[in-house]
Amino acid sequence: MTSGGTMEATINGKPVRIDGTETILEAARRSGHHIPTLCELSDIDHAPGTCRVCLVEAKRPGQAEAMVLTACNTPIEDGMEVRTRTRKVREMQRLQVELLLADHDRDCATCIRHGDCELQDAARFVGLAQSRFHDTGRVNRRLVDRSSPAIIRDMKKCIRCFRCVTICREEQGIDALVTVGTGMETAIGLRNGLAQAASDCVTCGQCVMVCPTGALGEKDDTETVVDFLYDPEIVTVFQFAPAIRVGFGEEFGLPPGTNVEPQVIAALRALGADVVLDTNFAADVVVMEEGTELLGRLREGRRPTFTSCCPAWINFAEKHYPAILPYLSSTKSPQQTLGTIAKSYLPEKMGIDPARIRVISIMPCTAKKDEAVRPQFIHDGVPEVDVVITIREFARLLRREGIDLAKLEPSAFDNPYMSEYSGAGAIFGTTGGVMEAAVRTMHYLLNGRELEGIEATALRGFESVRTAEVALGGDIGTVRVAMCHGLKGTREVVEAVLAGTAQFDFIEVMACPGGCVDGGGHLRSKKAYVPHARKRREALYGIDRKKTARQSHNNAQVQKLYRDYLDRPCSDKAHHLLHTSYAARERVVTRTIRDIWREITMSTMVY
Amino acid sequence: MARVVYGVWDGIVQDNRGKRLFEMAEAPDLKGLDTFNEGNPIQAFFGDRGFFVFDRRVSLIDALWRYMARAAEESCGKCTPCRMGTALIRDALEALRKGEAGEERWAEIEALGEQLRASALCGLGRNSASALMAALTHFRDVLLAERGPLPEQHGMTYTTAPCIEACPSKVNVPRYIDYIKDGEPTHSLGVILQKYPMAATCGRVCVRFCEMACRRNLVDEAVGIKTLKRFIADHQRSRSTMFTRDVIAAAQPSDLRVAVVGAGPAGVSCAYHLLLKGYPVDVLEALDEAGGMAATGIPAYRLPKDVLKSETDIIQALGGRFLYGRRLGRDFTVSDLFAEGYKAAFLAVGCAQGSRLGVEDEDPSLPGYLSGIDFLLMVHDHVAGTRPTRLSGEVVVVGGGNVAMDCVRSALRMGASAVHLVYRRTREDMPADREEIKAAEEEGVIFHYLTNPARIVARDGRLAGVVLVDMRQTEPDGRGRRGVQPVAGSERVFECSTLIAAIGQQVDRGTIGPEDGIAMDKWGCIAVDPTTLATSRGGVFAGGDCASGPSTLIHAMANGLKAARSIDDYLNFGRVRFFPRSRMRQILNENKMLAADCVEVPTMHEYRVHHPELDPEVRKQMFEEVEQTITAAEAYREANRCLRCYRVYSVITEQPIPAGCA
Repeated sequence: MTSGGTMEATINGKPVRIDGTETILEAARRSGHHIPTLCELSDIDHAPGTCRVCLVEAKRPGQAEAMVLTACNTPIEDGMEVRTRTRKVREMQRLQVELLLADHDRDCATCIRHGDCELQDAARFVGLAQSRFHDTGRVNRRLVDRSSPAIIRDMKKCIRCFRCVTICREEQGIDALVTVGTGMETAIGLRNGLAQAASDCVTCGQCVMVCPTGALGEKDDTETVVDFLYDPEIVTVFQFAPAIRVGFGEEFGLPPGTNVEPQVIAALRALGADVVLDTNFAADVVVMEEGTELLGRLREGRRPTFTSCCPAWINFAEKHYPAILPYLSSTKSPQQTLGTIAKSYLPEKMGIDPARIRVISIMPCTAKKDEAVRPQFIHDGVPEVDVVITIREFARLLRREGIDLAKLEPSAFDNPYMSEYSGAGAIFGTTGGVMEAAVRTMHYLLNGRELEGIEATALRGFESVRTAEVALGGDIGTVRVAMCHGLKGTREVVEAVLAGTAQFDFIEVMACPGGCVDGGGHLRSKKAYVPHARKRREALYGIDRKKTARQSHNNAQVQKLYRDYLDRPCSDKAHHLLHTSYAARERVVTRTIRDIWREITMSTMVY
Repeated sequence: MARVVYGVWDGIVQDNRGKRLFEMAEAPDLKGLDTFNEGNPIQAFFGDRGFFVFDRRVSLIDALWRYMARAAEESCGKCTPCRMGTALIRDALEALRKGEAGEERWAEIEALGEQLRASALCGLGRNSASALMAALTHFRDVLLAERGPLPEQHGMTYTTAPCIEACPSKVNVPRYIDYIKDGEPTHSLGVILQKYPMAATCGRVCVRFCEMACRRNLVDEAVGIKTLKRFIADHQRSRSTMFTRDVIAAAQPSDLRVAVVGAGPAGVSCAYHLLLKGYPVDVLEALDEAGGMAATGIPAYRLPKDVLKSETDIIQALGGRFLYGRRLGRDFTVSDLFAEGYKAAFLAVGCAQGSRLGVEDEDPSLPGYLSGIDFLLMVHDHVAGTRPTRLSGEVVVVGGGNVAMDCVRSALRMGASAVHLVYRRTREDMPADREEIKAAEEEGVIFHYLTNPARIVARDGRLAGVVLVDMRQTEPDGRGRRGVQPVAGSERVFECSTLIAAIGQQVDRGTIGPEDGIAMDKWGCIAVDPTTLATSRGGVFAGGDCASGPSTLIHAMANGLKAARSIDDYLNFGRVRFFPRSRMRQILNENKMLAADCVEVPTMHEYRVHHPELDPEVRKQMFEEVEQTITAAEAYREANRCLRCYRVYSVITEQPIPAGCA
């Protein structure tokens, strides 16, 4: 103990003040000493100590010999002498990475994470020179689960960091992922041995966002997009989601949160897109439909109503809480709304054969892939949306097509029917945005005049569950609303609603923490979780502020759509085209004790 | 005693290779390592702290391969060095053993061994290479001299942990905690149900020998093992879908009927295992419900009756029958059972009679005087609604065990105006669970330590009070224990309306008669062979409180399993076979193999989760359960506190070890 009761340790000979609550890793990071890590992810408070790469040598006061310790989960103690770069440490770190590669698919060039992989970084850091223990037979025994239309789980590349388990369990509260097997056969699986598609997984993709390697990734659909682009018979219609334009700047080397809408449009044109539309337009249509639907339900005394834009939330409701389904808005999501209109209204206006149209979505979301193949959204074999790619695939697609974003001349929308959007449509990509957009329009519908103080700051917090009272006026008066982002908070609200302990009129749900601005389809960050959500969110609010039309009902193209085609929100035609239904998909597994005993390992079996 | 030819234990090297056998001193510290079973010498022993070789013919490479093979099998696969390292070392040793690799392989083995020792996540991994590294450091010449292919050796390996060894039922605690971490609490339940059927009951009332042995105590606090068990058991409540006749693997001949006498924890556990082994089982019970002391002796605020019933119902789901209202000694004798066609019997009649205080004017028939278990039975009938009763006035309970705690807390709930506990020693000396004492204090029970009853005071034909006397602690005796003695002249009358003597129980004298041919011991319990639970009468076994005296639920359930194994052997082989795992435990226990232990690495402090509890002011008025189940998030957090102190032990023997009953 140094004078004055403060505590001090040394790292590589340099003194470091400590307070007795930190780990060696935290103290080392704070004082600028690099220690390689793999399983650890401080943003989600995850330090399972499984990879054993973050080794250091440390001596407690009075100890003759240094111990080898993992920095991520060992407390740094008063008087401790920590050394991060001794020969022993370096050799053991190197052997650790070599052991990780012993059952790892080393075919890096074919990997979805090639060049952007934390395991590659670790191998580089430790100076890995050989891979003596690698055994292809071992690797080939590992499961690759391709059952889901959204996410592929490749256990040949899993390093057992358990970040995915933690995110699914602790952050999202889904708890779909379990550890299966023991010893060498240890892997991550879905509960009850199910394939991803049949499991409790809601395909939110948050696990993908934290995976350090290519073990988790989206199902890559870029090849399908290329097929469409180069088929002369096909008219490609692209749409991209509100959050894309604020989540793609990093790919150009621009600061996170930059609005790159003109560059995205230019890139799509460079790819050879026939028609470039905006999902924001559809968001405005959704506000018209959902807002009207909600007012109708309130007048009927039906409450609450949950939003229905988020496909992972729909999966969650169908798989985990089917009792809540009657409370979901029947309005389709913006993606499906756009797909539907692009294959009905648009060809009529543009004089194209609808059979030639392929709708391609670029989404910040893995669950949108799942949504596009819902049976409700495929009519006589024709899907409303033909293919969905994440931002990551979009980036990959541009590279494949040799398009250098930085060199493109910015471009703008030119479609006169489905590309204009209001500020309300723009903020759909962040938590609270759908609510705010809906409030703006409902206020107008009820009072015949615009809401004053358009920006509803009361709705703009960042807590996982926020509640507010909103004076809508008219015959409705004040409504109680809730906004949830992240499914853990959503679960609490759903349970409270089902238990009758929460009284709400309207509840917005976005499955991903932060909303679509940090959806499971964004560009990945290394060693960080949702680092850019707030910047992207501010960028969306910035777009809103610059718009002349800030309410969905003031979008001229939306007005035209209703005038020329749908008549009015929730008309029979609108209902037929723009509303959907839900189906309970709860899975009940009953197992006898014999089934369970058959699965148990490493415990002496009595029977 | 065994003679060590060479070996290393805790870093101390012994090398007698230069000596003849008769020149070697016998190792005084090693107990029972001469033979494993009769006529089968132990040639070598391997553990987490080193190894001993007693026979120079032993192949060290083969022995280490066996050890590492078991370690690789036990690896949970979470951390890199253990997941890959144990398997790679095993494979390298196997290659050497088969003569498929040469000396050059040792460098790799040594590097991997050091990686395991220094960097594995848990105790299993860290210690799995101890013997190997000790051999490499001190007896490398032996290893290098061995040339494969090496002859096959015999022996067995055994994996355990301090919590497992402390548990009478030997429940694989780290395994069920691992399954929680894995996200599979149903598998956790499966691990517990391998040993006994009453998991939710045990998760509420167990005395937790495991937690006392938990090495996490050396860091901060023991892992909340009982709390986790309750989480597991409550997570999957529906036992009726888990247990059906179909889960029984193979039926035994239908005439091999077994009678279990007493439907308490021992009887139910024995019946459960016999049913799973395929025997037809009838459970004869004096009362009209199952559960024994768990039903009538544990108040509902600690163990709700429906929880217990869902677990005793498993017996019927498996095809067993409860024959209620049949009391041994009153309605039938042991001989009657054999006359009725039962081929074996398990006596688990418990200790149903309260012990007397042995004070002046003590009259068990005096209104207002009750024994602890009679009172708890009264409470049970009150809660069940069959015989509503209320207490009034002040109540005095005498005793310091868990039954006494159940009595004071129940007396509050039964309407007593004040409840006093009288105990002759100090709070520290009380055998009751600390949490129970704390709960009673919170609920307002008044504790009188170093106080003892001396005489019963009766007035108008009913109890009116008790004469109490102060006690004084004597000087510590040779073993450091202090006795107590009355303080002369401190007697005073303490007025009360009810006196409950909760100082102990015994086997009801009317249960076993001379005609049964069952020998009793000097404490009035049924005399049994401690390893087989056989009584003096062939085909009759006994266990639980009636054989051991008043004990714990977990002890009774452990006896039930042991009896089922013995009965199975008796019916199949006419005798109880050697049980290798018990022998291994005996060796570990006698040599304190698991004892000299500390937590080697600095570990973050993280204190254990606690059950949500109802407010004492509210709960003391009702019999609803006081403690609530923890949430899944809390269970994950608590499970992660487990240090996973598994250790692997192995013996090499001259002959194959006979297969015992499973």
